[in-house]
Amino acid sequence: MLLVGASGAGKTTVLHALTGALGDVIAGDVSGQVALGGRLGLLPQDPMDAVVADRIGRDVAFGPENLGLDRDETWRRVDAALAAVRLPYGRLHPTTALSGGEQQRLALAGLLALEPDVMLLDEPTSMLDPVTAAAVRDAVVEVVGDRTMVVVEHRFEPWLEHVQRVVVLDGGAVVHDGSVASFLATDLPGLWMPGAPDPTPLDVDAALVSPGGSVVAPAGEALVVELVTRMLRGTQRTRALDGLDVATRAGRRLALVGASGAGKSTALAALAGLVRPSAGSLMPDLGRLRSKDVPGVLGWVPQDPEHSFVTTRVRDEVATTAQRVGRAVDVDAMLDTLGLAALADAHPFRLSGGEQRRLALAAGLAHRPGLVMLDEPTVGQDRRTWAAVAGWVAAAAREGAAVAVSTHDDALPVDDVVVLERGRRA
Amino acid sequence: MPTGPLRGALLRANPLALLSIGLFALLGGFFVTDLRTGLVAVGAYLAVAVLVVPTWRYPLLCLAFSGVAAVTVTYSGWRGNGHELAPAVVQGVRVVMVAWPGSVAIGYVDPARLGDHLAQGLRLPARFVAAFVASLQRFGALTHAWGQLDRSRRARGLGPDWRRPLGVVRWMASMAFALLVHALRGASRTAVAMDARGFATAHERSWAEPATWSRTDIVVLVGGLLLALVPPVLTLIG
Repeated sequence: MLLVGASGAGKTTVLHALTGALGDVIAGDVSGQVALGGRLGLLPQDPMDAVVADRIGRDVAFGPENLGLDRDETWRRVDAALAAVRLPYGRLHPTTALSGGEQQRLALAGLLALEPDVMLLDEPTSMLDPVTAAAVRDAVVEVVGDRTMVVVEHRFEPWLEHVQRVVVLDGGAVVHDGSVASFLATDLPGLWMPGAPDPTPLDVDAALVSPGGSVVAPAGEALVVELVTRMLRGTQRTRALDGLDVATRAGRRLALVGASGAGKSTALAALAGLVRPSAGSLMPDLGRLRSKDVPGVLGWVPQDPEHSFVTTRVRDEVATTAQRVGRAVDVDAMLDTLGLAALADAHPFRLSGGEQRRLALAAGLAHRPGLVMLDEPTVGQDRRTWAAVAGWVAAAAREGAAVAVSTHDDALPVDDVVVLERGRRA
Repeated sequence: MPTGPLRGALLRANPLALLSIGLFALLGGFFVTDLRTGLVAVGAYLAVAVLVVPTWRYPLLCLAFSGVAAVTVTYSGWRGNGHELAPAVVQGVRVVMVAWPGSVAIGYVDPARLGDHLAQGLRLPARFVAAFVASLQRFGALTHAWGQLDRSRRARGLGPDWRRPLGVVRWMASMAFALLVHALRGASRTAVAMDARGFATAHERSWAEPATWSRTDIVVLVGGLLLALVPPVLTLIG
């Protein structure tokens, strides 16, 4: 079964209700009943959330341990599950050394080891690049067998051939429940229907994006960035950038693309002066600026919107940075454009995923910076949020700002593309 | 990196043996009553550390922290006790003896093995132990979150200005609060994920690995005990 709906429609809540987490682990008022036959396993949106041990064998063993299985049966299931998801490492491989796609496959193995009757998949591929997403999808389809599967996904087209029933949610209620064929015949708004054109980028008023200061377009030459994770039982060094040449340009949109782990986000952060390169040159080097001078030139939208929130009200969130740099901002017009007007006085953490993403966009860019940078802005987003991101960067570039995004979304309209592979140009 | 049997010992030793080093040191510290005893005991720990620690960075960091604590204790002892230096210094040396060995040893504890020993060796409740181990696992994720929070604050002009102490304090408070919120939200997501893997109904868990005591573990345990015996023995033989 496929469960779809726009951001905030209540898809994840349905899954949580099925697992019995509502009102218990997750606070809230619950009424109604859930009827369930058999054992159930959930694959969460962010595979990091599922990790409970620092070695993959022990992590997969968590489910069997909970079932009280003996050691022979536990390890038989662990090995079988790791083989089924095609993770080519031994039991002792550290969970921190896995890429995003491998982590999702580990989470899938953890679920399989339970031998569940019902598999709930909450946007299992939304954080992955297309190639990795296909691999995870294949792994799911291969192992699902005759189990019940409920999958939630925005970009659901590749799942359609593997499901028999589609349920559409809108505003917390079911608006469609039927076969795939009857679903395809519907004309429901806000969904990524197969074959439908990409959403029209949002029309953004020039006054909201026209740079309020000088336009700075950083360029990097032979950039090297080493990311170091220090642990007592061993230090892990990864070379995220390995001699990368990349330049942003005023009035143009640059996309940094590549598989997960290729260094897209690190390249973006290096250009923004938010991570120190260990070698190479940056012109200009925004890392030398004091923090209070940074928003004068830079607007940054992080991958996880929750990382950027610093206030307790949506309205304040939009106004904060502009006030720091002394630029006027029309908060109501911003919220109106992004479809957040009704939420102006809400707490940022109360918003749904898509609403938070749009708010992070407003919070990071309301001060009309000359350099606009977004880290994976379209991951797991519904059509409305996607249109807002695409429209915003297009309008900013048209008004002369230098724009850079890291993304694995090839539908996002851009002017220049740099493909990364293992920290350098492919 | 570790070479030879001695240097690997701390990395291989079982968590209870490692924790016993700190516990013994704590008890041994009570017998530090004069400067000679204290210095010999701390010297003994240092000498053994030279032989067994795999890398120096972390043990020295722990030593620095214990040193700061020791200096503070010495100073306040000196102020509060009629400006007599000798007893104050003894107090300070005792702090190093009590704090340093344990803080170094605990750093080498493997969370999963600790869980095995707590549940199977010490018979602590299984659900508590499993949740505790999973929470230790999340420390890595917090480091990552700290970096991301710092980036977006810097970009929004809310980063620290090290020349303004008040601003730095405000920044630290804001970061700490954001990290707390992040940790709580992450914890509830992990709780959902754990429950959906059978934890919700697991009252009698099994454990995938046994909790064993190897010869290395015994050596570490006895070594920790012998080191802690230095002060009482010195006091006895006077």
